[in-house]
Amino acid sequence: MTLTQTASALDADAIGRISDRLDEPGWLRALRARWWERAERTPPPTGQEEEWRRTSLDALPRDVGLLLDAPQLETHLSPDAAEAGVVLTDLRTAVRDHSELVERFLGQADGPGSHAHFWALAHAAWTGGLFCYVPRGVTVDGTLVARYTLPRADIAFHPVSLVVAEESSSVTLLEEVTSPDGAPGWFGGIADVRAGQTARVRYASLQQLGDAAWRVGAERVVVGQDAVVTTLNAEVGSKITKLGLDVLMTGKGGTSKVLGLLAAGDDQQIDINTVQDLAADHTTSDLLYLSALYDRAHASFYGITNVRHGTKQTSSYQECRNLLLSPQAGAEPIPVLEIEANDILRCGHGATAGAIDPTTLFYAQSRGLDAESAERMIVRGFFEQVVAKIEDETIRERILGALARRIGTTEGLA
Amino acid sequence: MTTLEQTASGFVTVARTSDIEPGSVRVVEVDGRSLCIGLTEDGDWGAIDNFCTHDGGTLGEGELDDTGVECPRHGGRFDLFSGRVLALPPVRPVKAYETIVDGHDVRVRL
Amino acid sequence: MALPNPALSQIPDSYKYGWHDAEQPRTTFAKGISAEVVAEISRIKDEPKWMTDLRLKAYRHFEARPMPKWGADLSGIDFGDIYYYVTGNSEGGAAQSWDDVPDYIRRTYDKLGIPEAEKKYLAGVGGQYDSEVIYHNIREDLEKQGVIFMGTDQALKEHPDLFREHFGTVIPANDNKLAALNTAVWSGGSFIYVPKGVHVELPLQAYFRINTQNMGQFERTLIIADEGSSVHYVEGCTAPTYSTASLHSAVVEIIVKKGARVRYTTIQNWSSNVYNLVTKRAVAHEDAVMEWVDGNLGSKVTMKYPSIYLLGERAHGEVLSIAFAGDGQHQDAGGKIIHAAPNTTSLITSKSISRGTGRTSYRGLIKVYSGCERSKSTVRCDALILDDDARSDTYPYMEIDEENVTIGHEATVSKVGSEQLFYLMSRGLSEAEASAMIVNGFIEPIVKELPMEYAVEMNRLIQLQMEGAVG
Repeated sequence: MTLTQTASALDADAIGRISDRLDEPGWLRALRARWWERAERTPPPTGQEEEWRRTSLDALPRDVGLLLDAPQLETHLSPDAAEAGVVLTDLRTAVRDHSELVERFLGQADGPGSHAHFWALAHAAWTGGLFCYVPRGVTVDGTLVARYTLPRADIAFHPVSLVVAEESSSVTLLEEVTSPDGAPGWFGGIADVRAGQTARVRYASLQQLGDAAWRVGAERVVVGQDAVVTTLNAEVGSKITKLGLDVLMTGKGGTSKVLGLLAAGDDQQIDINTVQDLAADHTTSDLLYLSALYDRAHASFYGITNVRHGTKQTSSYQECRNLLLSPQAGAEPIPVLEIEANDILRCGHGATAGAIDPTTLFYAQSRGLDAESAERMIVRGFFEQVVAKIEDETIRERILGALARRIGTTEGLA
Repeated sequence: MTTLEQTASGFVTVARTSDIEPGSVRVVEVDGRSLCIGLTEDGDWGAIDNFCTHDGGTLGEGELDDTGVECPRHGGRFDLFSGRVLALPPVRPVKAYETIVDGHDVRVRL
Repeated sequence: MALPNPALSQIPDSYKYGWHDAEQPRTTFAKGISAEVVAEISRIKDEPKWMTDLRLKAYRHFEARPMPKWGADLSGIDFGDIYYYVTGNSEGGAAQSWDDVPDYIRRTYDKLGIPEAEKKYLAGVGGQYDSEVIYHNIREDLEKQGVIFMGTDQALKEHPDLFREHFGTVIPANDNKLAALNTAVWSGGSFIYVPKGVHVELPLQAYFRINTQNMGQFERTLIIADEGSSVHYVEGCTAPTYSTASLHSAVVEIIVKKGARVRYTTIQNWSSNVYNLVTKRAVAHEDAVMEWVDGNLGSKVTMKYPSIYLLGERAHGEVLSIAFAGDGQHQDAGGKIIHAAPNTTSLITSKSISRGTGRTSYRGLIKVYSGCERSKSTVRCDALILDDDARSDTYPYMEIDEENVTIGHEATVSKVGSEQLFYLMSRGLSEAEASAMIVNGFIEPIVKELPMEYAVEMNRLIQLQMEGAVG
């Protein structure tokens, strides 16, 4: 695979050359150019912004080369699904084979405000990605899995994942990315997920980047009328992760479950900011982010629940719980509420941080487990709060498998 | 102690006595460390770590009030000789260093 | 809970304390602040050089620091448009008995009902009229116990060593812009020292109010509770209504030494043109207990986050906060607790209510330094939104750098339940009365911690507010 100039030396010409190399249609060339102009006009965060106070971008590896010939996304789609009109391919392939469809949805909306610069950058400089499209009324059986295995660590790669579930459709999708340990790299992948009216979407993202990688990611999830969406972010890898997630409840009666699992150790820093925007009547949004922190790891969480003025009967909860498993681990959970309506069904949040309750540990040990096994069992039990909400077997197994390297497994325990 | 004996026991020169006005502090960088050294109105020299334990303010850019170094960021104060907290918002003391004057040199034991 | 007295509904809609004396107080500087004004304030008070120097240094910091970029909207404050010092018609020093207090000031206090209170069981009252502590009365048995309770100006003169040892150690001059302003132009406030092992049984109180148009209130309170002692200090204030902005920027420093206990209760009901920006902070040493009870009912904007630094092992801190925001008001309040020793515990309970176009924001911080093992903290914030144009925010910050702790925060935002309302109204209450009852029930856990006459006044004020809402 070839590298183009460094990420820090990108300009309009370089963006144009990406289109050349990928032999892209005119509309896409123009789209990239527009987003590049946006990226130039929207500077990266200074660190003064509330969402960025806890993670500095000073050491972001900007001098690595942009990965131009990324490997193909590993996916599999059953013939039946393909016949029903479902699309699941690498974004480059989708541009070639389903141009009109992609054109309708790609780059048509703004992402989380906190990550505006990076959203624009990804839409201009993506060299890979995912397109998942489910037509109206189609139910996709089983779990769709899409995986990027990056060939080296010292690259910049900003794939765009575009997921569109049309009205009354149903789909479960797991996206994974891995990269090697060693040298610093910059992974700026973004996701744009839309659930149409009464659609059912389960979207999970499992990040296992290398131990020197920077992940600066943004996700935008739109929940249509009466749609039900469950998202899960499992952050296992990277040295520094800064993820911004917007969940927009724009359709009446929509429901979202926003789940997160973090297991971090060594010197990892995971910093996540979310917005749950309840902008329509009778919407429900429940967020649960759990973290288990070892060694000198640090987790920050800044989540805003915004209940918009004039909405009726919304229901929202935001929960962030952190298990500190070593003396130097640290957590900063900051759940924020901004409530501008009074006709609320339910609204609240909770945050905790601390060690395993000594009584619980003692009880586990009194059943014959050594300290390490007891801790593992308890952490696994702690994570169960989220794992139990993952209805898909495949996703559950993959996530737990990835987490095992930190939290161990509970096989063979009492 | 002779100059040689001082160096042997860990003292390094960080400034000249003429570098600082009485009743003030300044920043010196030595051996990869950033220190705040000060001279009181009474003629006593002291040295402490340069970064406030509250929010990382640069103590050497602050003011010296009697024997208290005032952080320019939020006004917290540390004793120039012991590093002890004299006023909030910091709660943890800063490290203090033994300071002596040898001729025109201000020397600190790291 | 008893039904509210129907006679109370006869209280007129207009703000009960919305009046001011026609007579002008004697000495007033021109508006605006400068080093000359600061030096002159110190000269008039005949202060020692260290205080004058500190005021001038604080003024320098005030000018250099920018206004906070977070919190409420403070763009309506014009620092050049405020009087920074006014004295009443007095020769200086506190009056020892009611008869010594100048006439027009006595009238003010008559209207506030102080003589009755004086007759009751209050230990002593420091009254403040336009920045100066005029009236003061310490009961004999307090004096015998060695308790010092006097105006801050007087304390600087009579107890200079004690004063200097503690002043500015909890809130230094450069802590924030408003603290710097206060340190430069402070006048009045209370100084309390409780000797070792002394327990002050009855609450010490103070009343004060802003009277002159564009008057800034910069009282400075310092409370020192020596080892094993205990004291409860209560402040409540009222202010007349004006058309141009008033600024109230107080600083309260409290030192609770080993094994001592202090509770500081405030009920603030400034009129709706006042900017109330207060820095309140306490340090609690080993086995000490510090409690802030904070009621924010008035003002146009309040920014206030009573803080406790738990510096000694087994220290305990609590903040009980009530905020009520009506039309056009913004109460931005909460609490900050810093755990800096092992086995420390803290509790923050916040209840806020917003109605009309009012906005309440809870803003708090729980910080646990590493090494503070076995510390526990619980924060509980509940908010009630009564109208669709009202707003409620919660910004709970947490910085936890120690593993062996239990830190939790819970918050809810809700509206008045329609079933509850229906039930009460079916019992014969009007909607306003029923809402008032529900709201009073909502804040009851905190109100029951207030001295009785404050609890009664609080409930009455809620009643008035609710009637304004539905009337």
